[in-house]
Amino acid sequence: MIETPAEGRQAAFARLILVFGAAALGLVLGGTILVVVFHGLVPYENVVEGLLSSEARIVLYAGLALGVAAIILGFSRYRVMPTKASREQAIAGGVLGIQAVFLGAIILLFREAGDPDRFVFHFFNVEVLRDYGIPVFAQAAGNTVILAFVGELGGIVLGLLLALLTLSKRAVVRAPARVYINFFRGTPLIWQLGIFYFGFSLGLGIRPQISVGPIDFGPAYTTAMIVFVLNTAAYAAEVFRAGIQSVERGQMEAARSLGMTYPQAMRHAIVPQAIRRVIPPLLNEFVILIKDTSLVVILGLAANEYELSTLARQGYADTFNATFFTAAAAGYLVVTLPLIRAVNAVEKRMRSGLVTVGA
Amino acid sequence: MTLVRLEGVHKWFGNNHVLKGIDLEIVPQEVLAVIGPSGSGKSTLLRTMNLLEEPTEGKVFFEDTELTDVRTNLNQVRTHLGIVFQAFNLFPHKTAAQNITLALDKVLGLGDEEARERALQELKHVGLEHKADEYPGRLSGGQQQRVAIARALAMRPKVMLFDEVTSALDPELIQEVLDVMKRLAEEGMTMVVVTHEMGFAREAANKMLFMDEGVIVQKGDPRAMFDRPEHERLRRFLSRIL
Repeated sequence: MIETPAEGRQAAFARLILVFGAAALGLVLGGTILVVVFHGLVPYENVVEGLLSSEARIVLYAGLALGVAAIILGFSRYRVMPTKASREQAIAGGVLGIQAVFLGAIILLFREAGDPDRFVFHFFNVEVLRDYGIPVFAQAAGNTVILAFVGELGGIVLGLLLALLTLSKRAVVRAPARVYINFFRGTPLIWQLGIFYFGFSLGLGIRPQISVGPIDFGPAYTTAMIVFVLNTAAYAAEVFRAGIQSVERGQMEAARSLGMTYPQAMRHAIVPQAIRRVIPPLLNEFVILIKDTSLVVILGLAANEYELSTLARQGYADTFNATFFTAAAAGYLVVTLPLIRAVNAVEKRMRSGLVTVGA
Repeated sequence: MTLVRLEGVHKWFGNNHVLKGIDLEIVPQEVLAVIGPSGSGKSTLLRTMNLLEEPTEGKVFFEDTELTDVRTNLNQVRTHLGIVFQAFNLFPHKTAAQNITLALDKVLGLGDEEARERALQELKHVGLEHKADEYPGRLSGGQQQRVAIARALAMRPKVMLFDEVTSALDPELIQEVLDVMKRLAEEGMTMVVVTHEMGFAREAANKMLFMDEGVIVQKGDPRAMFDRPEHERLRRFLSRIL
């Protein structure tokens, strides 16, 4: 509780430090972006003009000054704050100030010492994207998701099977599963894509193709889906094995002593509990796979089969402009950020005990 | 006619000799309390009876079937031997009723309706029919253990094995579980009860067995053993815990 007028002044001062810090970061980041947007994004010269404008300079220096003030005031005064809340406000203001100064220094360096003209031309040239159009990017993002989703789904099914094999008490059953898992975890995915592509066509004399309704997937696309399934299965198998082993021994004993066979006990008692426990690590694997689908660039995909990275590379080849890679990165983030949020939400729920684990 | 028979059973865990030549017979309607210091092999003895622990040496019979014969279908025999564990071991992803109906469905092949009916009947037997659709996580320890008893009873076993079933319970929850077990004993169920509850051993059991260091030291009438413990080791054990 604040009791004296002096303490009241201290608390107000803490709020001021917080406002300084927040304003500093807002100016450096938001202010610069706003100035650039007001100058226009197309053609790219407008972006450069905005960055180098005197408005941008004012905003940056103002942000830097506020940030330095927040750092000095925040870290020199937080100890004398009368309440925990105002102490936290002072510290938060100082930390925001550090972030503002750090970012502001980079942008300033970029403006003054770098070559904004060429950088923006090559990496933030929205104009060159226009000819390709949104539908092409949407289709590429869709292909990225299809490749990753098919790989993850098939990998989960095959991975659970492999996990059950590795848990067998018989060495002759365990051994092939271990060999499989170690092979796919121990070699690069990009090599697996290559060897399977040529292995199918040159080695086995087949060119795998599948059609789902009106959509035909060519040999490269189909091979990629198969390899993603095989590769993900090896990782999912290890996740499932750990999940199954984390279920208390007593669960198996209870099921067996009721007369259930080992497969019945696994299916009805153990695996359902294990699956709940492995949802977060499997979602993490999915996020990793989404990015790893970019490795199909080494295979020759047809134009309508492009995923984000192949599209970016093709765009770069056509225009000699790297803005396509920037756009691809944005595309990956659009897909992965919601998933990362989902993983965190599920983990939080599990920690809070809403999803029961164990008896 | 015996229900369970052990002949010269030995059990080693690595270099640890836990059971040292056990011979034992359980007859119908016997309520056998197994007592003894911790580490004496009581639980291991109980768990060999349905072959959750495989004897290193010796034979285990249920009625005329030798369980230690590899050709025996253990899954079939185990339906006749209900077991209740210290840690309850209810399936946490299934409701109380589903915990019971799972094996009725998958092992005995009862239809959905019949299985549900029997589950409710057994839950009523342990006083928990109103908790049929609760998950174990929402039940107290005593309630969970009573569901576990109902789950074992629903298989209509000929023998019930209890492995220190009150040891993991808070003191005020022990009695409700012991009451269920006492009633079972009165109804004529054949029971083997590994326990630290000397009151239960004295009141509800009609046979008692004292184990120490992997051997059966003494077996006899519970009251006689409590009132006139002949054996020195039993006297020492009783003086420590009573």
